[in-house]
Amino acid sequence: MSNYVAPTKELQFVMKELADIESIAKFPGFEEATPDMIEAILEEAGKLATHVLDPINLSGDQQGAKLVDGKVQAADGFKEAYQQFAESGWTSVNMPEQYGGQGLPFLIQSAATELWNASNASFALCPLLTAGAVESLIAHGSDELNAIYLEHMVSGNWTGTMNLTEPQAGSDLAAVRTQATPEGDHYKIKGQKIYITWGDHEMSENIVHLVLARLPDAPEGVKGISLFLVPKFMVNADGSLGERNDAYAISLEHKMGIHASPTCVMSFGDNDGAIGYLIGEENNGLACMFTMMNHARLEVGMQGVGISDRAYQHAVSYAKERTQGHAHGHEGRVAIINHPDVRRMLMQMRSLTEAARAISFMSSHAHDVSHNSPDAEERAYYSRRLGLLTPVSKAWCTEVGMEVTSLGVQVHGGMGYMQETGAEQYMRDARIFPIYEGTNGIQANDLVGRKLLRDKGVAVNELIAELTEFTEQASGHENSEIATIATMFTDSLHAFEDATLYLLETGSKDPNIAAAAAFNYMMCMGVMTGGWLMTKSAVAAQAEIDGGNTDAFYTSKVTTARFYAEQMLPRVLAHKTAVLNGEESTMTMAVDAF
Amino acid sequence: MSVLVIAEHDNSELKSATLNAITAAKELGDVTVLVAGSGSQSVADAAAQVAGVSAVLHSDAAHYENGIAEELTPLVVSTAASFDYVITAATTFGKNLLPRVSALLDVEQISDVTSVVSADTFVHPVYAGNALETVQSSDAKKVLTIRTTAFEAAETTGGSASVEALAASDAVGTVTLVGRELTVSNRPELGAAEVIVSGGRGVGSAENFAIIEALADKLGAAVGASRAAVDAGYVPNDYQVGQTGKVVAPSLYIAIGISGAIQHLAGMKDSKVIVAINKDEDAPIFQVADYGLVADLFDVVPEMTGAL
Amino acid sequence: MKILVPVKRVVDAYVSVRVKSDNTGVDTDNVKKSLNPFCEIAVEEAMRLKEKGLADEVIVVTIGDKDCETTLRSALAFGVDRAIHIKTDNVLRPLAIAKALAKLVEKEAPQLVITGKQSIDADNNQTGQMLAALLNWPQATFASEVTVEADKVTVTREIDGGLETLTMALPAVVTSDLRLNEPRYPKLPNIMKAKKKPIEAIEIADLGVSTASTLAVQRVDEPAERQAGIKVADINELIEKLKNEARVI
Repeated sequence: MSNYVAPTKELQFVMKELADIESIAKFPGFEEATPDMIEAILEEAGKLATHVLDPINLSGDQQGAKLVDGKVQAADGFKEAYQQFAESGWTSVNMPEQYGGQGLPFLIQSAATELWNASNASFALCPLLTAGAVESLIAHGSDELNAIYLEHMVSGNWTGTMNLTEPQAGSDLAAVRTQATPEGDHYKIKGQKIYITWGDHEMSENIVHLVLARLPDAPEGVKGISLFLVPKFMVNADGSLGERNDAYAISLEHKMGIHASPTCVMSFGDNDGAIGYLIGEENNGLACMFTMMNHARLEVGMQGVGISDRAYQHAVSYAKERTQGHAHGHEGRVAIINHPDVRRMLMQMRSLTEAARAISFMSSHAHDVSHNSPDAEERAYYSRRLGLLTPVSKAWCTEVGMEVTSLGVQVHGGMGYMQETGAEQYMRDARIFPIYEGTNGIQANDLVGRKLLRDKGVAVNELIAELTEFTEQASGHENSEIATIATMFTDSLHAFEDATLYLLETGSKDPNIAAAAAFNYMMCMGVMTGGWLMTKSAVAAQAEIDGGNTDAFYTSKVTTARFYAEQMLPRVLAHKTAVLNGEESTMTMAVDAF
Repeated sequence: MSVLVIAEHDNSELKSATLNAITAAKELGDVTVLVAGSGSQSVADAAAQVAGVSAVLHSDAAHYENGIAEELTPLVVSTAASFDYVITAATTFGKNLLPRVSALLDVEQISDVTSVVSADTFVHPVYAGNALETVQSSDAKKVLTIRTTAFEAAETTGGSASVEALAASDAVGTVTLVGRELTVSNRPELGAAEVIVSGGRGVGSAENFAIIEALADKLGAAVGASRAAVDAGYVPNDYQVGQTGKVVAPSLYIAIGISGAIQHLAGMKDSKVIVAINKDEDAPIFQVADYGLVADLFDVVPEMTGAL
Repeated sequence: MKILVPVKRVVDAYVSVRVKSDNTGVDTDNVKKSLNPFCEIAVEEAMRLKEKGLADEVIVVTIGDKDCETTLRSALAFGVDRAIHIKTDNVLRPLAIAKALAKLVEKEAPQLVITGKQSIDADNNQTGQMLAALLNWPQATFASEVTVEADKVTVTREIDGGLETLTMALPAVVTSDLRLNEPRYPKLPNIMKAKKKPIEAIEIADLGVSTASTLAVQRVDEPAERQAGIKVADINELIEKLKNEARVI
């Protein structure tokens, strides 16, 4: 087994050279986000990830969460780990100071999110969902509700959940049937929700469920759903916890992965009705939920990044230890890392992980600028950028998560398929990321439908303009290796432009073309954007090397960027080709022929 | 050249670690052993019998009874005046006492010497034994602690040194011994055993350690443990073999249910023959083991005890 | 009561160090550095004493180049009150460190000094004892339990063969062993507050301490590597090999 090591140097590099943390730190309120502060935060977060969360990851997978006498019991060590986590303040990194948070940029929170997910994805889901619930309450909750709940949630004293899905309402929320009946100052909620992550547990004192439900007179469809806050325990006027509310986990799902994260079937109001409070306005639940969803999508992208890095570290450790066979230029049996195909897999894992991390951090950067820049024009520009990057972060980074964790199993050979090695857990855990928080298909449709076509290409063209300017400079770099990387990137940018033009021209005329091409377009943009950021990393690393820095970290950066340019960027052309030609063969065959 | 070796003892017996220190001292010059204790005549007599010891200085006083560093320091410092080297074994006794002496002599101590290169040059491990540093001292007087595993024990007989009484220094009285909890065992001492049987986290519990102990008793061996086993509370802390515990180098070291963390390897890799029993065939311990057996310790250890 | 905690910045415990190819030392450039684990335990112990109301102020001090400030910040994140940075670009050995600390003790007048029993780089296990000697204070090394009452401290020490408990008058020097405590994970608000806490800088020359050493490193080598042996099939084969091949039983 390998020990997880938080890649703090890499995180700081990406924050500084790509996600421009120095500019973010100039925004009012972010003065604390200095390089030495970030280093200190990441070091300490890394310690917790390494020494507290990583050691209970495999045991949590094997043991799983259990439902005993109507209560969910977390796997061994999770309660203690959660209390350590919350007491240490990690639930409050980017939360407003008004509610006891630290008020740091979301970018720093994203870096921490990577560490939690790398070390223990099941665990990390609990604070992830709480943070989403907090975002939603801050944006839409009444002052009265927020005064009662937010401080406890920010401190991690209480956790949050997200109750959307019902058996007949998955990706299609219009079909939500859970009822909310007005009663005095509150509502009575009745219905069943499924797939509720960390829907019950005893790691925190209370659980705050955000529940989508329908009022008696609500209109049909998504315009008739409202969002309610339903606490596990009622809160008394003095802030103490009162009676148990009628909201129970009635069963747990048996899942492929994330075994230590209890996925609950929640029953609201089975007995005397669950008391809930309206968040925002009646029938405006979807908007409230989207605040939470957008936040969660960025965080799920980070899950893909985190688990990729963990799988990579695990594979490297094994590849250096495992001796097998002979290799050219070596005497005797060698560690398998010396075999070219194992190297290929490790470089692929490494370069994809770095690219995914870079994209995710750029989304977080866009989030911080769009919310905090004093310049209205800049806010608007980065708001469009955030909208554009969010589906790519969620979908591409989680696709990377599957590819990298699968390669991680492959590096281990037969041992990779054995449970005790730990490599397959990452693969199983990573498999849910492309599914929840809006499947990757839905992300791709969001990208093409809303962010490209409805936007009439404004945000995409802004990105293309920025990258064109970048690559014109980088292609002329005096270092020939950097210039080569940049030239390869230029080709992929042109291919992406072709795909974009094609969809802008044809997609608005024929929705089937847009929808059938959407996934490939999303992948095309993911690989290409990764190429931009890998090239930019190489330029920054080369500047360090030229300045006399002998740290091998920087030469590795350049090499990894070159591998990505040579071995990963060709995928952009393949996805572009698929975008241009996909619709007919995808949609022609009759349903009966399947 | 004259060498002063500070004896470690319990007022009745000379500790074997001192014998290793005497061997190192002999490479440097004429060896005098200082025995400071209370009612410790038998120790002084034993020291005089050790092969290669030229003289024994014996200072007997009530305040030397418990080997308290604060009491011994003035005596050692004043006695050191006429010696070129001051040496102890790198045991907890020596490590506690000697830096105190060294500071008052205004000398830079060299810790854990594993090899004497010349009169002023010594090798000692740094970074948990991952590097060996060769240092030359320009101090007029050299103060060294000796890693016992790097030097053979001197013969306990064959010497006939004179025992000279030495006046005690004044009592300091700042430190009082409240008590000691020493592990009572009929087995050999970990630091001096020819054979050591060690258990790790894989042993699973304090009760299961009986399996390890049974094999040790069969072999007349000492019982050791990895840090993981000590931290888990299976055995007391003084069983710990490793960088921060004891460094051992027996003829035979049997590691059972020990994965072989670097810090454990640092404490036992100089053993002559290493045997590893572990069910994880990839455990790093196998990379240093002369004989490895991939098996469940609960099956094969009792089997071994029975077969011997 | 005031507690002074001397700490050291060392190569992180999880880094496997490499000897430089020219045998002049260990390659420590661009290698992750951390607070020495034993020093971390010392900081934790000092903070626990403070939290029990037995100490009013905890001060950390380190000696070294400007990078050591990061190490002081991580100690401050434990909740330590303030830090002192004795500045030098030279790497000091224990005697010089003890002399510098002794000067600082004269200035700060703590009643208790707690430090790590050894640093995991040089592994000397000398500084605490030397400091105690220079101050003519009592010492309790390799502590696994520390109890402070009024003007004395009682310490249980890990010694060969078991445990020993000593009691001594304050002021005194205590060095921490591994099992003294399990250091906390610093809280995020404390990490942030740590940045605002004062770090007093003192040039080592101003303490009148020479950084010169009487020890000269001749060379540094890798230890001889042990080769993996063979795997045996069962206990019978193992016993046979130990008896007839290795001849150790």
